[in-house]
Amino acid sequence: MHNVRRMTALASVLLLLSVLLVWFADSRRPQSQALTPRMTGEEEYCIACHTDLPEISPSHPVEIFGCVTCHGGERLALDADLAHSTMRGGNNPSNLSVVEQSCGGSDCHSGTVEEERDHIQRVMTSVQATYTGAIAHIRYTFGAQPDQVAHYGIFNVRDTEVTTSTGVQSLEAFDPSQETNPSIQTFGETCLKCHLSAEPPEGAAFDRLTGCAACHTPDVDSFPEGNVHQLTTAIPYTQCNTCHNRGNYDLRSMDFVERDDNPTDRFHDYYQPIAQFTQCEWTLDCIDCHTRSEAMGDGDIHSNQSEIQYVQCRTCHGTLDELPLTHTIASEDDIALRMAFLNPVVNLSVGDTVLVTEQGEPLWNTRVLSDGTYELVGKATGQVFSFSPVMGTQCTQNADEQESSYCHVCHAVDR
Amino acid sequence: MRPNFFHHLHPPTIPAQQSRWRYTLGAGGTAVFLLFVLAITGMLEMFYYTPTPEQAALSVQTISYHVPLGGLVRNTHYWSAQLLMIVMAAHLIRVVMTGAYRSPRRFNYLLGLVLFVAVVLLNFTGYILRWDQGIQWALVVGTNLLKTIPVAGDALYVMLIGGSQPGPATLIRFYAWHIFGLGLLVVILTGWHIFRVRRDGGIAVPPPRLREDDARITRFELVQREVLAMILITAILFILAIFFPAPIDAPIEQLTTMANDASAPWFFLWVQQMLKWGDPFVWGIVVPLVVMLILALIPYVLPQAQDAELGRWFPKSNRLARLVLIGISLLVIVLTLLALLPGS
Repeated sequence: MHNVRRMTALASVLLLLSVLLVWFADSRRPQSQALTPRMTGEEEYCIACHTDLPEISPSHPVEIFGCVTCHGGERLALDADLAHSTMRGGNNPSNLSVVEQSCGGSDCHSGTVEEERDHIQRVMTSVQATYTGAIAHIRYTFGAQPDQVAHYGIFNVRDTEVTTSTGVQSLEAFDPSQETNPSIQTFGETCLKCHLSAEPPEGAAFDRLTGCAACHTPDVDSFPEGNVHQLTTAIPYTQCNTCHNRGNYDLRSMDFVERDDNPTDRFHDYYQPIAQFTQCEWTLDCIDCHTRSEAMGDGDIHSNQSEIQYVQCRTCHGTLDELPLTHTIASEDDIALRMAFLNPVVNLSVGDTVLVTEQGEPLWNTRVLSDGTYELVGKATGQVFSFSPVMGTQCTQNADEQESSYCHVCHAVDR
Repeated sequence: MRPNFFHHLHPPTIPAQQSRWRYTLGAGGTAVFLLFVLAITGMLEMFYYTPTPEQAALSVQTISYHVPLGGLVRNTHYWSAQLLMIVMAAHLIRVVMTGAYRSPRRFNYLLGLVLFVAVVLLNFTGYILRWDQGIQWALVVGTNLLKTIPVAGDALYVMLIGGSQPGPATLIRFYAWHIFGLGLLVVILTGWHIFRVRRDGGIAVPPPRLREDDARITRFELVQREVLAMILITAILFILAIFFPAPIDAPIEQLTTMANDASAPWFFLWVQQMLKWGDPFVWGIVVPLVVMLILALIPYVLPQAQDAELGRWFPKSNRLARLVLIGISLLVIVLTLLALLPGS
């Protein structure tokens, strides 16, 4: 009898302790902060842990988008493993394998083709994603195909509406194992490292180097843990250089040699020793001159970079005989205004005149000044540069030699 | 002291022998208490659980993370269910190892076996109610087993699943089975089982004339011991619930895709292991049924303990029955361990 009583007393103490434990565990539960984004109307508890995450961009306000629309994941779970278990693309929901669910949709970035707003289709068909140039060129060099037209890409892709003369209708997925030439096989195994769905280098910070984030999430270097949360159209040259100055191909060993130093001087540390640059090419950011079609594709599948990269010195400077093309903003819906809205480094309004490419893409960060000179505002820096047309200068270039390479002969800066 | 309601649920006195932990393990009483905990926590969960494929896993997440003490309730429900399986197995082993199942307790032994099967099915249906990626494999494979039954298989499948493949109808049926078809059944059968314990003369001990120990305890002492057991079990449940949360996984996206977790719940691992050996009907249905049949036949075909041997472990006369149970237990344990081996 006494024994049972004593045991009961002991057991009661144990029960009391376990109840205290329950209370303690409950008090340590993350404060259930919910966010109910207007777009979905479903509450999300991601911010219970991710409290100090900065808003990704002014275009994606968190009160409207929330987290799950882009990232996936379990919106109700307060357990990290479960909450993250269904996230799309891990650290990078814009990875091309999931980009359609994360960023796409007709209300978002795979909007209508007519308006050229299907950015995902444009990127998927662009040389940055397909890597057609390198594949076609290597296959041509080693005799696997008679021309340099692209037949293969990193993945198979089809373009339903070819709009340019160099556009290709579809690509098969490049499969090195199907190739007979050992050099092409080696190329396939070791060289497919520079495209938007390539396996990024190890480390959370590099997870952003695929898909949209490869360009639009710059500055990962400053976030060694990879916790950068930013999307921008103000992309500094350093971001372009994470891929475009990452190393070089060694054609003898058919390998990609990653550079092991950390390039700091963009002019002298460029990977290509024979590359020539004029002053503006290494003082401006890449995107100050190169347009979105060049970077993200124009919706057509092209066989190589030269078919899509068309901005030349003359695009801004004109030739001896012609001034650069200009475009006066006519309406509020003008693409120049829309782009300036996304990256408000210039104060553009209807009636302003900007330079425009031969393809009609406005260089919205330029301005034609009243004295006949031009002004360019750095998209990533906000710096203002002024420049003049070639027309009326001492330039003695032949009229039929107007490509940038001819300009480089005189104007390239000695490296 | 005036006996209260709970005292009145017990006989005024019982032979002390019937209430020794060493003899009974307290397994039957513990099982009843766990059932009680399951009923209470289950009812609480019903206020939040939504039995539709889109909402089920999300409502489980809501219970686990957002309902005040919801996680504790769910984890306690889960651990009571797992403990109940173990306690029931211990109860069965105790009854066989002490020869207590012999006439006049043969019928109650069968009732107990039916309860055992019902609790296993309750556990399985409860597991399916999670409707998350962790149960996907077991749902598809488990229900497909029914199809392998000759003649009646397809009809049984449609009856349980409510269609040609698992879907909304399946979930609502499992829900109904869990609460009414099995839950209510278990409550009723448990009442009957306890009634039969009283009707059959209490826990098996030798008849008075053969009893060596005449000591008796009062219902006050009995209730005291039960309270002690209940306090201990509650504490254990809380501790388990805090340190080992019940499994949870992301909602099922598509039932047709292969689940990443291709394993049965732990109490069916032994069956899963046998399924690797071939014909799913034979290994998945016939063998488990044969095992149950052998257990059911123990009081009817095998030599039984003598009157004087009752009330203690390992009576000589029912040696064969004990060997049969040891064989079955070893089989289940070894198969389970095999299934748990990495790479199996």
